[in-house]
Amino acid sequence: MSGCCGKNNNIKEIDPCNPPNAGLSGLTGTDGSSVCELLVWFHEMVDHCYEYACAEKKKGRKLVGIMCEYTPRELIMAAGAIPVCLCGGSVEMIPAAEHDLPANLCPLIKSTYGYSVEKANPFMEMADLLVAETTCDGKKKMYELLAKRHPMHVLELPQKPNNPEAFEYWLYELRMLKKQLSERFRVKITDEAIRSAIVEMNTERRLRRDLAELMKSDSPPLTGRELLDMKSLISCLPVDLEQYEKALNTLPGRKILPKPDQRVRVLLTGVPLPHGAERVMDVIEGNGGLVVCQENCTGIKPVLEDVDPDAEDPLRALAKKYFHLPCSVMTENKGRLDSIRKLAGEYRAGCVIELIWQACITYDVESFHVRRLVEDEIHLPYLRIETDYSPSDSARIATRVQALFETVKHRIKR
Amino acid sequence: MIYAGIDAGSRTVKAILLDGKELRVLASGIADQGIKQADLAESLLKDILKKAGINRKDVGKIIATGYGRNAIDFADTTITEITCHACGVHHWIPQARTVVDIGGQDSKVLRLEPDGGVRDFVMNDRCAAGTGRFLEVVAAKLEVSLNDLGGMAQRAKKASAISSMCVVFAETEIIGLLASGETPENIVAGVQMSITSRITSMAGRNITDPVVFTGGVALIPGMDKALESAINHKIIISPEPQMTGALGAAILAGREGLEHVSIIG
Ligand code: SF4
Ligand code: SF4
Repeated sequence: MSGCCGKNNNIKEIDPCNPPNAGLSGLTGTDGSSVCELLVWFHEMVDHCYEYACAEKKKGRKLVGIMCEYTPRELIMAAGAIPVCLCGGSVEMIPAAEHDLPANLCPLIKSTYGYSVEKANPFMEMADLLVAETTCDGKKKMYELLAKRHPMHVLELPQKPNNPEAFEYWLYELRMLKKQLSERFRVKITDEAIRSAIVEMNTERRLRRDLAELMKSDSPPLTGRELLDMKSLISCLPVDLEQYEKALNTLPGRKILPKPDQRVRVLLTGVPLPHGAERVMDVIEGNGGLVVCQENCTGIKPVLEDVDPDAEDPLRALAKKYFHLPCSVMTENKGRLDSIRKLAGEYRAGCVIELIWQACITYDVESFHVRRLVEDEIHLPYLRIETDYSPSDSARIATRVQALFETVKHRIKR
Repeated sequence: MIYAGIDAGSRTVKAILLDGKELRVLASGIADQGIKQADLAESLLKDILKKAGINRKDVGKIIATGYGRNAIDFADTTITEITCHACGVHHWIPQARTVVDIGGQDSKVLRLEPDGGVRDFVMNDRCAAGTGRFLEVVAAKLEVSLNDLGGMAQRAKKASAISSMCVVFAETEIIGLLASGETPENIVAGVQMSITSRITSMAGRNITDPVVFTGGVALIPGMDKALESAINHKIIISPEPQMTGALGAAILAGREGLEHVSIIG
């Protein structure tokens, strides 16, 4: 690992200091060895998760696959099981999925399903249960097919966030999940266990929030891509939490290249970028941008709110936090607009880019409100990028991103 | 100081020499695109330098724009065609607020700020149906020249309905229409309508007057009328509509480099 951050460009394998997949030479700074170790650590995130999952399974622990940020990890953890994210980010899984699913479907849904068809996601193969949820239509119906291949429990998510009855129903759904988990895994899920899972998750949320907040600086110590890579498939891996702490101590003051003051600060919103589907982030950062904030499910959105571990009814407290998540499947989803407004100010974004996976109806329609908010209220340039996982349109996206940045610079000059 | 703008479009390359002080065009040229874009652009630049009697050494800065901008290795820097078209149109028609640009293989609609900056834009570079390529295909099928299309469209009794969303399929459709006795005039009018309705749906409701029409297709007679009736706004054809991108690039070359602006205000 030593010397990995030098100017040597011939390093084979993974060198996070010259990320190969990003194809962006000299994107990151010259680092001391501690920062370097950190980046290497998160670069090998999938391997760590895999080792951990295998070791824990051997000890008899259960693995539960989840596919959405509405699924409360705490409840799974309180059942002694390990929640692991199964969202597919690989374009290679899509052809297999298209045998069963329409081509005109969100790539995230197809990729996730394709992994099952190809038996290519070891976590999915190892999982003792998948917890799905009724969010968008595409996922909901895909789950029916996926349920033929894996044991599955579906959470029914009500979709009017301001309706108190809807909330009570959501709470009921979490009770049903709790029942399912305790029956299937033959464990008693105590309030105490839920509380301690809440404490653990709060710790991780706080650490990830603090890391994200490093990007508020005039000179952020990370690229958006590096921050994205710090999100793990399995939450609360003890070693990950240690690395987060370390990162918070060592990263401030780190210099990245190109220098932040020559790059456009971008707030990225819209759909999540699952592991393997970071292409648009790389196009943005490879063309003069710096993603200082990701208002999406692979960014800051799920870690903005904590849960009160001392609440009288911890399950109710959990239900409340998760029901608050501002996803486009909700109607109306005002919370997301409030969040974008707030984050654009806090992170001093120079523009807002919205990413929409092709055929994602809910985010696509909601982009109407986002554009209005950004252009007419926050008065920032806005760009909507609709694409899928195939790299074929990267040059087209780059042109649009460059044009957006030219506009940002023109406005600053004015 | 003298500045050069090169617009390496998908079908043609354009170059402009500009007197930076008076913002006066000293020479301009256009060449059909080929495989070696950089060589083509280089020889085009040489041609216009000669035409204007200017020494290459006296050119202060060269900016390349357009689809092939990154291939122009002798340019000092690149700027997207979006910013350049906006700047070029603003130079000629400062009150312009919307630009419709239909080129050989792409089309775009830009909304401008009063100072010529880009407010927002939409772009079609995925499919030939809303571009000049469609007209070329039709002209070839009907064995007429591009310049005849305007007159033909005017003589049309009614515009044929072209339902295909894709140029390749539309070509087959046109053969079918001819076989069923549809007049070439009606077909031309139908194709024009098909292109302009593409532009309309791309632009949405975001059209602010005055609307300026640029790109090679603006030179084809009748397209301005077709566009006018499709978007329901009056259209001004830009002076030298093929050159606005290159002009914008040359003007921006003369301004203090955009790229040196610090982003943190
Ligand atoms: S974007 Fe919506 S559906 Fe997707 S993971 Fe987030 S909350 Fe779930
Ligand atoms: S990106 Fe959109 S369509 Fe795809 S899974 Fe998420 S909400 Fe559904």
